[in-house]
Amino acid sequence: MNRSLTKVLGFALPWSLTFLFVWLFPLVYALVMGFTDYNLLRPDEAKWVGFQNYSTLLADPDFINAIKNTFIFVLGTIPATTIMALIMALLVNRSFKGRGLFRSAYFLPSITSLVVISLIFTNLYQRGGYIAQLASMIGITVPEYGFLYDNATALYSIMAMDVWMSVGYYMLIFLAGLKSIPDELYEVAEISGVGYFRKLFSITLPLLKPVALFILVINTIKSFQVFVEIFVMSKGKFDTMTMVYFIYEKGFTTTLQSGYASAAAYILFIIIAVFSIIQFFLLRRKEPLW
Amino acid sequence: MVKSPIRAISKYFLLLAMLTVMVFPLAWMFRVALMPVGSSVSFDALFESALTLDAFRALFAGTNTLKYLFNSIVVGVVVVLGNILFCFMTAYGLARFKSIINKPLFISVIIVLMIPSHILIIPLYLLSFKVGIYDTIWALILPWLVNPIGIFLVKQYIENLPTSMEEAARIDGASEFRILFQIVMPLCKPALAVLAIQVFFTNWNSFLFPYILTSKDSLKTLPVGLAHLQGHQAIDWQQLMAGSSLAVLPVLILFVIMQRHIVSGITAGAIKQ
Amino acid sequence: MNFRIRLDSKQQKDFLIDRISGIDIFNKPMQPPKQMIAVKQALYALVLSLTLFIFSHADAVTTIEFWQFWTDAEIKPVITEIVNDFEKQNPAIDVNVTDLTWANGHEKIVIALASKSGPDVLELGSDWVAQFADAGHLADITASTASDSAQFRGWGLSTYNSKIYGWPWILGTRVLFTNRDLITKAGFDSVYHPINFTELKKAVYKVDSLGKSIYGWGSNTAEKHRLYKKFLPFFWSYGARLFSDDGKYCLIASDYAVDALKLYKELHDSCGYVADQRGIEDAFLDGKIGFIISGDWLLKRIEQEERKINFATTLIPGTKFPGKSFLGGEILCVNNASEKKEAALKFIKFISVPENQLKFCKANRSSTPSNKQSQKNEYFTSNPHFLTFDKQIQLAIHPPVDPDWVQMEDIIERAVEEALFGKDDLVAEPLRTARRKIEALKNK
Repeated sequence: MNRSLTKVLGFALPWSLTFLFVWLFPLVYALVMGFTDYNLLRPDEAKWVGFQNYSTLLADPDFINAIKNTFIFVLGTIPATTIMALIMALLVNRSFKGRGLFRSAYFLPSITSLVVISLIFTNLYQRGGYIAQLASMIGITVPEYGFLYDNATALYSIMAMDVWMSVGYYMLIFLAGLKSIPDELYEVAEISGVGYFRKLFSITLPLLKPVALFILVINTIKSFQVFVEIFVMSKGKFDTMTMVYFIYEKGFTTTLQSGYASAAAYILFIIIAVFSIIQFFLLRRKEPLW
Repeated sequence: MVKSPIRAISKYFLLLAMLTVMVFPLAWMFRVALMPVGSSVSFDALFESALTLDAFRALFAGTNTLKYLFNSIVVGVVVVLGNILFCFMTAYGLARFKSIINKPLFISVIIVLMIPSHILIIPLYLLSFKVGIYDTIWALILPWLVNPIGIFLVKQYIENLPTSMEEAARIDGASEFRILFQIVMPLCKPALAVLAIQVFFTNWNSFLFPYILTSKDSLKTLPVGLAHLQGHQAIDWQQLMAGSSLAVLPVLILFVIMQRHIVSGITAGAIKQ
Repeated sequence: MNFRIRLDSKQQKDFLIDRISGIDIFNKPMQPPKQMIAVKQALYALVLSLTLFIFSHADAVTTIEFWQFWTDAEIKPVITEIVNDFEKQNPAIDVNVTDLTWANGHEKIVIALASKSGPDVLELGSDWVAQFADAGHLADITASTASDSAQFRGWGLSTYNSKIYGWPWILGTRVLFTNRDLITKAGFDSVYHPINFTELKKAVYKVDSLGKSIYGWGSNTAEKHRLYKKFLPFFWSYGARLFSDDGKYCLIASDYAVDALKLYKELHDSCGYVADQRGIEDAFLDGKIGFIISGDWLLKRIEQEERKINFATTLIPGTKFPGKSFLGGEILCVNNASEKKEAALKFIKFISVPENQLKFCKANRSSTPSNKQSQKNEYFTSNPHFLTFDKQIQLAIHPPVDPDWVQMEDIIERAVEEALFGKDDLVAEPLRTARRKIEALKNK
């Protein structure tokens, strides 16, 4: 037993080091820092302030706004992304000519850099850009300076772009899930004369639940941390400030309040953890397979 | 099942519509990258403009983009190789040897997989000063050398491998080192390929941490450099898209070559849940 | 005097020792007798102590670190030249120059100061001085400036809590640029310039009506650290103030302020060519805009790009007479943690002498050095545009020297953006929100 212990420790050393120095220690460091008023401009004057950062944060209208925007982002993009991904997966599931091409094309945006996509869409959304032209053709009023320069449309434009980008990735996961459903189930339903939609709702969807849960959880964790798009496209202006951008602004620009920003980071952390747990339990109810 | 032609047509229509929407922005990017510098990007210009590599030339001459590309490549390769080595080692240790520390170690891997990484931006930033790696290439490499996804993937794979070959080698008196690298590693190639691709994509496109942990221009990676170029007064869309194409091309090429591995890597995690 | 004995190769060492001790190296015995070893060791010790003695009494050279932002191919050589001249005149001081970029300079400075590894002399933008002074990172140089203060202007930019924390170097302000051809076409005299807002409005509208692609006014989009410099001249010219004299009340939502923002918004909405700074300059130089507010870098651009534009620079208008513009600048500060403050100050004073400031301004086409003597030079007095900038400096107000200023900048910009780009045509409400936020900031 002892020999194995040293062996395991030896082999797992890279991970242990990474875990300790990149995750555990920084996590604790950030937690402690959240209870101080550490400011990079005055590193020697840092002192313990207990929960003051947290109470200030919850009274800070900018932070509350960031929370609101982040929730809008999450609650707006996740259902849309999941449903679109499912539809795409269903469409692409059966073999047909050119299926591989379609599948690849849908998937490609999701492995492209978010910075690149944000740059492209900054142009498409600008005043006189293609999307503005398309919108006015359909009759939607375009904000005067482009979609990103208006409180009402900026955040939603970024959300739409995010959905566009992510669907391909989740489509693949749904595809894998669809593949794992045994064909016999469908055959039995066929013979019993069950229609398409009935099959969809009684067989496919219930059996996709674990996959859907997986998608939900990772999409949630990722969406709550939305930052790159905001940074490249709007820098938090026009009501697009999200929580990670708030943390960035408070901790790395202008005021360099590392303590305050760390507390904000932990509030986000808790929110994400709570959401993940809730999702886990809600969708984990054990059901008989058929 | 006999599908009515209407069904087939409407399905194809839908597929094509989605294809256009999904492909257009990226196709636009490539088209603009090949336009003469400074020309308008109106819809007509897409078709009427000449095809030229001018934007790339201007971009390379006027900015550090080639250095950014170089940095991304170097960091990408080092991180991928590091991950292959270290994740493999760790996964092997956890899969093949049982001890009391296995469960806690594995749980630590799972925990880290669930932790949102934003929580690290401030501590890693501050700690990078103390350790002296701020604004050096090490900040882009060291924290990312052992990715928990990699450990997870490879461990699953190794657990499904028969131990016969290793045991035979051990009886023959081969050292652990030899067993590890000459016997098990070659067997793990598929999993390691998936790992390499996952890690490469994550790393190639990553923005937040490279941005925060570096500041000098010569150290920027491509995404960070592109984001800064956007703020440049003298950069026009053609050059910006040229730079963006550089960020997308490797991904595109890799995707075409390694499609199967990419797909299996993404789906493996999902299904095994 | 540098005295060093080179004892690198063992052979050389042995040769030397053996020569001194009289033994031929080519016939070296297999093992040197014990006395020889002792002699060798004694000789080594003697050489070593001699070297140490000489080094400790050699002339000490002080090296100071200078961090600055001028990295242009045209200007950097001037900095290098000034540094070299200084080193020649002060052989005991060496200056190491580090270049910073505007993109990350502030961050670099903060990190260096936080880890106590910063430079001795640093160049700071005027809106950063207060936050660094307040944090104790800048040395109080009030005493050292007493003899020279009358020669320079811009001390207000670096005075915090009645102490001076930096030496003003190059000042900057904003003036009104007019396209003469366009106003002639609009029916004005080519040397006409509006001196108050009523005249400005009329002129702007008239130019704007010249054609669909002609605009009367250049208006900035939401650009950080830029938009507020365009709005504040209006704000101050209307007589509005940011704070009451005792600093207790924020007056950003006063009636004057609302009027100023209303006018600014009107120009923006009715006749504004809205783009970022570069876009506005491009359009102005292409003859598409009648009036814009800009700084002396535009003069440089016109000269460098040999633009054929018939333009005039005039003072920013006010309510009845010319109003107040924005004042900012580059300040040279001494790091409080520096152990070479004297040398640092010597360097700062050197770079600030009239000839050196003139040299710099010529390279950078700056219009307003801080040294009053430089300003009297023919280079400035023979150029009507430089004269305008000089006059404007005397009618310019600088933002409060306050550690929270950068945050206040942000709040002000948000209010202006809200008024310009927001859905409702509200002007007073964004200013009131700004006031609330600034008061919350000050009450913390």
